[in-house]
Amino acid sequence: MFAAAASWLEKSSAEIDALNVFPVPDGDTGTNMMLTMRSTMEEAYRAPDHSAAGVALAMARGALMGARGNSGVILSQIWNGLSQGLAGKEKFTAADLADALESAAIVAYKGVSNPVEGTMLTVISDAAAAARKEVEAGSEDIIVVLEATVSAAATSVERTPTLLKVLKDAGVVDAGGQGVYTILEGALRFLKGETEQMRLKKPQIIVSDLPYTASLTQTAGVDEVPYGYCTEFLLKGEKLDPEVIRKRLEKKGESLIVVGDEAAVRIHIHTLDPGAVMRFVTRLGTMHQVSVRNMDEQHQDFLEMQKERMPVTDTAVVAVASGDGLVDIFGSLGAAAVVPGGQTMNPSTKDILQAVEATYSDKVIILPNNKNIIASAEQVQALTEKKIKVVPTRSIPQGVVALLAFDYEADFKANADIMAKALESVKTVEVTRSVRATRINGLRIKRKQPIGLLDGKLIAVGDTNSDVVEQLLSRLELEKAEVLTIYYGEDADPAEAEDIGATLTGRYPQLQLEVIRGGQPHYSYIISVE
Amino acid sequence: MAVKIVTDTLSDITSDLADELGVTVVPLYVRFGEKIYRDRVEITSEEFYRRLVNASTLPSTTQPTPHDFIEVYQRLAEETDEVLVIVVSSKLSGTYSSAMQARQTISGKCRIEVVDSLTVAMGEGLITIAAAKAVKAGANLNEAADLARRAVSRSHLVAYFDTLKYLAKGGRIGKAQGLLGSMLSVKPILTVREGEMAPMTRVRSLSAGLDYLYNFVAGFKSIESVAVEHATTPDVADRLVERLGSLVPKENVYRSVISPVIGTYSGPSALALTVLEAEK
Repeated sequence: MFAAAASWLEKSSAEIDALNVFPVPDGDTGTNMMLTMRSTMEEAYRAPDHSAAGVALAMARGALMGARGNSGVILSQIWNGLSQGLAGKEKFTAADLADALESAAIVAYKGVSNPVEGTMLTVISDAAAAARKEVEAGSEDIIVVLEATVSAAATSVERTPTLLKVLKDAGVVDAGGQGVYTILEGALRFLKGETEQMRLKKPQIIVSDLPYTASLTQTAGVDEVPYGYCTEFLLKGEKLDPEVIRKRLEKKGESLIVVGDEAAVRIHIHTLDPGAVMRFVTRLGTMHQVSVRNMDEQHQDFLEMQKERMPVTDTAVVAVASGDGLVDIFGSLGAAAVVPGGQTMNPSTKDILQAVEATYSDKVIILPNNKNIIASAEQVQALTEKKIKVVPTRSIPQGVVALLAFDYEADFKANADIMAKALESVKTVEVTRSVRATRINGLRIKRKQPIGLLDGKLIAVGDTNSDVVEQLLSRLELEKAEVLTIYYGEDADPAEAEDIGATLTGRYPQLQLEVIRGGQPHYSYIISVE
Repeated sequence: MAVKIVTDTLSDITSDLADELGVTVVPLYVRFGEKIYRDRVEITSEEFYRRLVNASTLPSTTQPTPHDFIEVYQRLAEETDEVLVIVVSSKLSGTYSSAMQARQTISGKCRIEVVDSLTVAMGEGLITIAAAKAVKAGANLNEAADLARRAVSRSHLVAYFDTLKYLAKGGRIGKAQGLLGSMLSVKPILTVREGEMAPMTRVRSLSAGLDYLYNFVAGFKSIESVAVEHATTPDVADRLVERLGSLVPKENVYRSVISPVIGTYSGPSALALTVLEAEK
């Protein structure tokens, strides 16, 4: 049954590979799972007896010995859990299968230092839950239980992109999850006697019908760059303690997985210093199947691959913004990346550099969108080989008009000029709350009172947001303005925003007015007047 | 015998000008539901846009059949032995292939040359006008065809769109795909690049769009002719023509209407502007 599942998986390993997204640094999940399964099955055939427990134990052993990559190691833990669940059983029933799957899910989660949802872990646990439910509903037929399991796994795979942003951005389902589904489905087909059809057909890759979202290279500013080395090996020795080894290695890198038993432990880690990891483990035993791969190189290959899919222009724009609405707006207008940041949370030069490096172009225009970020943005040029221009946008409205002015037919330098020139055409109105009581520009301001800025200058204070907006806009010749856009912040009331918009439309019918959620912190309103 | 010039309705040459220049215009087809109309022959632009705005299902379009071209070729072959056909970009319409297929069926003394304009609307129209004028001045088929082919790279079309809805639904969006999905309301400005629609930039308002179009013309050093076209907003186009007076002599500015087949993709309120650069 599991042999059939393994060969079923082999058929789709290439498609599963194609589902990979960076930064899932093992870019060959399908192949890794297939090779792990091969080793699993080789061992299974060598099982000392044909009891369920004996075969499962042999499989777990084989999986551990042959596990490759992140996905392979987790898969080996699934077999390990399955064998624990079947311990002592001669044969297994529907209820035993549910128990075994549950145990598989538990052990798989335990093997990973930081379990992530939206991966094969989610799929195996959803599958196990479905099996349990079916058994509790009274099913005794193992096929019926496995059918429920497979169908739950399919649904689970389909939903992986909703759980994991990298999948959503890439528009794919999780490769490891797809692998788990394929194995379970293969087993089911075998039990149903469909071995003949399996030889002719290929497994199906689940397609998630999520709406296409702009492929925005969101950089979260996490310390994932540089990626370092993906290091994995099997450690053989005596009286090994996976728990102790895990604790010792935790500080040495990311994506750590340590699984195994007293005699053999498989280790997978992304580390900047593979030498340190190896020096530590060689004191405990001998290393086998050693693999050290440079992930930065893999990342480069990935970027090259992405390049071919990109449209005409060779210039990318990187913008700084905070607030989910504003991030989406910049993305929808074509920014290649949006660096989180703004007032009181200025991104570092390194954060911006990281976004610049992540774009597919070697010419990058940066929109800092805040006067305190312009200087950091200007530092980027010194740190990269890419050509950089900073258009000194001092506010979100300036950033938006600059990005809109981007000319697809113009070259890099001309575009920077065109975008810089566009800044003159917009006025920025901002409403926030005073952090302390003060006197400034002839205004007496109480703590937490709404205050208003026009092009960065504090000129209004009032009791309500609407009052402050009113004061600010009275300074502008709105009867001559054409476009007014209100971006309301995370703590602003959408109804209040609509009211302000409606009042303005009533007073200035020629205005083309838009009220849109910016979701920005600190600023209740950012208003752009063109 | 003088060369006869043929173009399609997508060149947007007005019928008066076509008569004056002796240009034969082959219509494409536009379909509303069950009914099929010959572009600008059986449906006027005014009527078309009125129906477009109110239509529950959008119209669709079809290229002329090879037979349509055969008829024209046969008729012209009675008057002349040289025909120059200038058609809409082969990447936007199958008109070019119909014109080419028809050409193979015409045997005998009449020579027919077909030029792919790689553009549309007055982008194609100004090339046709230039060729027709050369013929009037005595150019033969080779000279006129050569002139038309050289003019292809000098013809620059930009179009202001009120919406990309029609272009996207009609499947002609080309490289301008990237301009879709904006969360702010923006007015895209497109051009034709290598025969396909391509993005140029975006503006927030009509007047910003008009400024962009004006500056586009101002960016050229030496201009042979300019064309301004509207869909449903003649007064806006007139204002633009007025402004362009400071850049281009009035007699070199052509005024036209975006024909129904193009309107199917441009939608109402679109404006098209073409600059034919002078030859260096």
